[in-house]
Amino acid sequence: MASLAHTIPPHVKPEQVFEFDIYADPRISDDVQGSYAEALRHAPDIFWSPLNGGHWLVQRHDLIAEVVKNPAVFSAREMQIPRVKNPPLFIPLNLDPPGNVPYRHVLMPKFSPRAVAEMEGKMRAMAAEIVADVADAGTCDFVHDVAARFPVSVFMEVMGLPLEKLHEFRAIADGFFKAHTNEEYQAASQQIAAIFHELIDFRRKAPGEDLISHFITVDFEGRKLSLEEIMAMCTVLFLGGMDTVTNVTAFTFQQLADDPALQSRLAADPALLPQFAEEGLRMFGVIGTPRLVVQDFDAHGIAFRKGDMVLNALWQSGRDPTRIANPDRFDIDRKDMAHLNFSTGPHLCLGHALARAEMRILAEEWLKRVPSFRAIPGAHHGFRMGTVIALKSLPLQWDIA
Amino acid sequence: MVRIVFRDVAGNAQEINAEPGVSLMVSAKAHGIAGIEAECGGSMVCATCHIYVDEPWFSAIGAAGPIEAEMVEYTRHPRLTSRLSCQILVTEAMDGMEVGVPLSQR
Ligand code: HEM
Ligand code: FES
Repeated sequence: MASLAHTIPPHVKPEQVFEFDIYADPRISDDVQGSYAEALRHAPDIFWSPLNGGHWLVQRHDLIAEVVKNPAVFSAREMQIPRVKNPPLFIPLNLDPPGNVPYRHVLMPKFSPRAVAEMEGKMRAMAAEIVADVADAGTCDFVHDVAARFPVSVFMEVMGLPLEKLHEFRAIADGFFKAHTNEEYQAASQQIAAIFHELIDFRRKAPGEDLISHFITVDFEGRKLSLEEIMAMCTVLFLGGMDTVTNVTAFTFQQLADDPALQSRLAADPALLPQFAEEGLRMFGVIGTPRLVVQDFDAHGIAFRKGDMVLNALWQSGRDPTRIANPDRFDIDRKDMAHLNFSTGPHLCLGHALARAEMRILAEEWLKRVPSFRAIPGAHHGFRMGTVIALKSLPLQWDIA
Repeated sequence: MVRIVFRDVAGNAQEINAEPGVSLMVSAKAHGIAGIEAECGGSMVCATCHIYVDEPWFSAIGAAGPIEAEMVEYTRHPRLTSRLSCQILVTEAMDGMEVGVPLSQR
């Protein structure tokens, strides 16, 4: 959480300091990524924020790529800002190459572009059902009723969670991502661990085509995966595979709600939806990925010192004016939609193909039923910021026939 | 310079001067070849830099190694002559090589 003490170590030059509170900066508004870009407009490409224990923040596309592709200096093994005593170890997220590689290969068959294409029909049916639940009401909270529900259903399908657990699991996921206090967070974490343990037991007896069955049976460098390894992967999938899709979708629809012309264009021509989803991903990055400096390193005039934390503000990559023309304009026709919101290098998001498919399919099923809609005027949407950016609510309304 | 021709599924060809000593993916990206995404920047975890290498070049440069071959299997449109362009180090001997870009990378 935010710490108000100022930390400026001697290796940081005065001109490299820019005060920014990644957890609660007052300059940030409901247009989180837009106001972020504005707030950092005159900050150095790499700067030191003295808040939250003190850390570097990297905000340019090419520089972020340099950092995440240099794991010998910038390790993924700790991702807490400020640093904590016993950091958790998520697999493969917190393993630097080559340790992460065999795990990526265990996961790949279920997340490859091909596996995602095979799930298309099922995903479409799930999206249609979720949209149908609200379509006739003429109003909904898009975040709670749609954007948060769909990725949970997809996740359950991938993991092989039996469908009768849907409501229970949805409630647990909801509780986890909304947890405020440490107690709420602990309680939700325990429920999640319990669900996965139960699922692993169940699949040992009744293996299927799902990911858990695959974890149990797969040959991992001549042995089976341990329960700890399976749990460490389940946790990162849980944390990274649902809330992220919810958040990007929510921001993208906050944008779309204010653009009736684009709504009718997309409703008339669903072939444009992949571009629409990608432009949403470019504009509305929701993850910042921290790295720990494990070896002194001088580059770009910066003295990175062992023990420094570095936040790669991925959401800034798609808004980089040195890379993208008019970066703050939502334009599905632009040729270059370069962004690093799935990161790059050895930890490139495993779920990038799945996430893109989810965004495209949900938008298509939504527009089939609700081709024209608007944000309820005057509503304050609310957001969370930190290493994850989220929109809290998005009340929409539309005319029903 | 090493001339390499990229061809899309419609048969449209684009010739580039690839830089020897770096991967073919790096030169393809530098020249903006459509359909080469290369999202992981050469870390061999995305398989969105997939290409088909025409004969006789495929036999000359050799098939994918085991990890690369596994990644190729997960692509949408694998073929016997599939390679990941980030794993092909360009050499002068590749001058004139022709490669195909798949219908889609994801
Ligand atoms: C729009 C939605 C998503 C965004 C923006 C996103 C973003 C990211 C980012 C930035 C990373 C890399 C972090 C780093 O470099 O340290 C990552 C890693 C990861 N993501 Fe995603 N993600 C999304 C959806 C998903 C989905 C749907 C899944 C799977 C169900 C998933 C699974 C993973 C996993 C397993 C990793 C760890 C990969 C590794 O360390 O090798 N993500 N994600
Ligand atoms: S660039 Fe990712 S595998 Fe080649």
